[in-house]
Amino acid sequence: MDKYVKEKIKSRAAWAVAFILASVWFLATVLPFIYMVMNSFKGQFEMLKKGVFQLPDSWYPANYIDVLQKGISSYFIHSVIVLVISLAILLSITACASYPLSRMRFKLRNAVYALIVAGMSIPIHVTLIPIFKMSTKLGVYDSIWALIGPYVTFTIPISCYILTSFMATIPKEVEESAEIDGCNKFRNFFSIILPLSKSGLSTLAIYNGVSIWNEFSFANTLTQSKRAKTLPLAIQSFQGEYTMNIPVIMAVLVLTVLPMIALFIVLQDKLVKGLMAGAVKG
Amino acid sequence: MDNVSLLNSRQKSTRIAATVFLSPVILLMLIYIIYPIFSTFEISLNEWNGISANKVFVGLENWKTLVKDEVFWKAFLNNIILMVCSILLQMPLAVALATFLDAGGKKVNIYKVAWFLPLLMSSVAIGFLFSYALATTGGIVTTISQAFGGGKVDLLGRAPQALYAVIFVVAWQYTPFYMIYFLAGYSNISIDIYEATIIDGATRGQYFRHVALPLLRPVIYTACILSLIGSLKYFDLIYVMTGGGPGTATDLMATYMYKMSFKTFRMGYGSTVAAGMFVLVTGIALVIQRLLKVRDSVDG
Amino acid sequence: MRLTKVFSLLLAIVMVLALVAGCGEKVAPAADPKTPAKTEEPAPKKDDAAPVESTVTEDGKLKAPDKDMKIVLWDIATAEPAVTIQPAAVERFKAAYPNIEVDNTHIQNDTYKEKLVIAMSSGQCPDMYIHWTGGPMNEYIDSGFGVPITDLMENYCDVPFLEAALAQCTYKGDIYAVPYGGLSGSGVYYNKKIFTELGLSVPQTIGELEAACETLKSNGYIPFALANQSKWTGSMYFMYLATRFGGVDEFNKAVAGTGSFESEAFEFAGNKIQEWVRAGYFPEGVNSLSPDDGQDRQLMYTEEAAMMLHGTWQSGAMKGDNEEWYLDSIDYFAFPKLEGSTANQNIVVGTSVGNAFSFNTGDDEDLRRACFVLATQFYNDDTYNQMQIESGGLPSIEGMGDTLTDTTMQKVWADFSSATNVQLWYDQYLPPEVSEVHKSTSQEIFGLTKTPAEANKELQAALEKYLAK
Repeated sequence: MDKYVKEKIKSRAAWAVAFILASVWFLATVLPFIYMVMNSFKGQFEMLKKGVFQLPDSWYPANYIDVLQKGISSYFIHSVIVLVISLAILLSITACASYPLSRMRFKLRNAVYALIVAGMSIPIHVTLIPIFKMSTKLGVYDSIWALIGPYVTFTIPISCYILTSFMATIPKEVEESAEIDGCNKFRNFFSIILPLSKSGLSTLAIYNGVSIWNEFSFANTLTQSKRAKTLPLAIQSFQGEYTMNIPVIMAVLVLTVLPMIALFIVLQDKLVKGLMAGAVKG
Repeated sequence: MDNVSLLNSRQKSTRIAATVFLSPVILLMLIYIIYPIFSTFEISLNEWNGISANKVFVGLENWKTLVKDEVFWKAFLNNIILMVCSILLQMPLAVALATFLDAGGKKVNIYKVAWFLPLLMSSVAIGFLFSYALATTGGIVTTISQAFGGGKVDLLGRAPQALYAVIFVVAWQYTPFYMIYFLAGYSNISIDIYEATIIDGATRGQYFRHVALPLLRPVIYTACILSLIGSLKYFDLIYVMTGGGPGTATDLMATYMYKMSFKTFRMGYGSTVAAGMFVLVTGIALVIQRLLKVRDSVDG
Repeated sequence: MRLTKVFSLLLAIVMVLALVAGCGEKVAPAADPKTPAKTEEPAPKKDDAAPVESTVTEDGKLKAPDKDMKIVLWDIATAEPAVTIQPAAVERFKAAYPNIEVDNTHIQNDTYKEKLVIAMSSGQCPDMYIHWTGGPMNEYIDSGFGVPITDLMENYCDVPFLEAALAQCTYKGDIYAVPYGGLSGSGVYYNKKIFTELGLSVPQTIGELEAACETLKSNGYIPFALANQSKWTGSMYFMYLATRFGGVDEFNKAVAGTGSFESEAFEFAGNKIQEWVRAGYFPEGVNSLSPDDGQDRQLMYTEEAAMMLHGTWQSGAMKGDNEEWYLDSIDYFAFPKLEGSTANQNIVVGTSVGNAFSFNTGDDEDLRRACFVLATQFYNDDTYNQMQIESGGLPSIEGMGDTLTDTTMQKVWADFSSATNVQLWYDQYLPPEVSEVHKSTSQEIFGLTKTPAEANKELQAALEKYLAK
């Protein structure tokens, strides 16, 4: 009894400490975001004169009106299309590739693995010129289709790497028992492995979704007109040769980030559902 | 005889399945990754300004320069520092955050969303806000230092503290990714295991040390490799926040390569830096991965 | 584990293949449609250019051809005011020549050079593109991406461009570019209210400037608002001090290889800067402050700092942020003279050409003419110049000073006109790889991490390495 009470107090105390630390980190992550939002409601002179970390004089949304008038919606639509298509392709082919890499033994496995690690190590700036050439030759330059290839490919290595190690943690017996029941590899994959990888896949969707959404270098290199530009390029309308309008840029960035927050809230729920999947398999 | 042919047909079906499953990924990587790697190595053997039609083939001349290039090796060292600090800062923090979220369940969802925010913010916004937050006059660190009777602290304008300052911001930005990743790792541990452990009378701390952590180990190793590679080819916030300065004190391999290739018309040498960087990163990643696997054979 | 082996094997194969491919390629240079061999193309001869068929001119004014064609034009007009002024010129051109299509792309300044390099290296160089003259222009032309326009300039250009501006567009004896972005100088913006309050007058000499700095400092003001994270901002102090000590020749000789960056003038500049840093004339953490984030202007706006040595485009920028405050508080003086120096003390550091267009038209004479007409008759026409002046610009054209109303701009113009010489921004003029070194060493001088002697030695070494090639 005594021991139980003691444990209880100890655990209460531990929780209290954990909550305090968690709240400190909460501030550290939320405050910069709040400052970004706050500055998006200021004028440039006001922001510089009063200081970046002060409340705006008024919350008049002039910057947002300015941004919307510049036609940010077309950037937005392009970003959404690129994101959805890229993610769909990425997740399906990554899932396929990770399956044999994590659960089969075959000769070239190590070579493919080395290729994936090499793919993670390549600095993207050296790929700009070759990929630019390729896009012009294929005739996709300056269209959103030029972006999908690189976006999928450059997120493959890290995704395969993560998903392979993820699938490797699924117990072998699950598959073996199915195989005895006469399932072949393809059936195994779709009916057993894929459902069990849900939480891994949603992690990938979140991470790659964010990096594709914010990707700048390829977008800047492979598109040039308004009919193809994506959101990260939208801030350029407010960056001149010598000056830039920082508060308006902040407004663009706030508008860029909102859909991602919404997506995260939806997907992180999937993470919890992944937890349920884990419960089933045990 | 029968056994052998059964084995053979099994191997054959494995081969077919592996080929089918892997081919789209391999095809894409050949086009978009292997071809650029090849062309980078090829350009590295030329003296070329990046735009002219005539490249001058110079053999391994650029490579000899690279081996003796102090700025490059300084940059490499900076990358190593970034790598070590990133792993040491981000991994424990991310495990702690994920553990908290896992233990707290739905109640602490608000924390999950908030803690994820840094990963969503663009480097432009981060660079801007932190250049004010870390400013010598009026910045956070200076304010704290002055509250304790210290002087002003110049974080971003001096080496080596500029590098460490950016390392902290990078950690701030990327920890959420590992947090989410570990959280997914937690979700893969079955609830039965947790319940069984608790029924056996273990405390949460014991569960974490003796059950969860060992089960998470492969995930943590993978995360370390990812962080390692990511740090060795890192570019963004250094370019935005210090531009490699003061002087070239905070240059990383990637920022150095970028300046060579696109700012100073030395594409040939820039490609050599890129190729050298590629060799180093891949090599280090494979060696470390091997070391980790020797210690831990969970990953098949 | 075989991973490492597999990787080293792959690497070896790649290297070998690359070596083989590299050797093979020497024989057959890549055939880009527009680029090759253009460098060797002799400039259209000046003497046979004068009498042209009557279809080319109308009342002695050059006309663009009437056949259907397309100009691919790259500029950096992404934001105000350029985005209003420059596309308007293109629209006027299109209205006058409906047969000519202009594919006008605006690229953000910070990423423009990278995009241009990528396009050029892939044989996709635009027909008409912006650059800043100096080292990069020479590089583009040497690589075959610009055609000479000396003949057209001499015979068919009614815009009286400043002598210095045309000189800046000239390379190896031929004109290769048309200026259009206006000139810019640099000087000291100061808060006149603070000066009045402390009874300070505009310093004429560097001695007086230092005295003013002392007064400002003892009254709690930061003398100079400088944000040196971008490196070129601090370089302005270095350039002015070196020029005041040794004139333009000192730099020219150093660049030509007959002088040296280790000479007295550059030593003086470095020492003076470090003296000022130690005396506290600059904000603390000067190398960490970023001009892109507005941290130099912030010090002016909060009135913590009293002076700011900067490019004259700052008038427009500050006016854009708050015109009322700008007119109320800010005035401008030329960088003071150095007592006892025999060098020319009226030199302005700046550029006669902000932006210029070069033409990558190859053998297509019609295209070259169309681009030239667009660049000289639509950019640089009265409407264009007027719009530029209204937004704080100063066209590189004679007589423009008379129409100025802004007092600061009048002073800049007067400086430029009376200046017997303009010292070009080092980072614009120097070959890019030397320029990078200059920016780095200048930043290290401000950080006190290198002595001026060490810094200048490094710069000289970089230059010698470049000249040796």
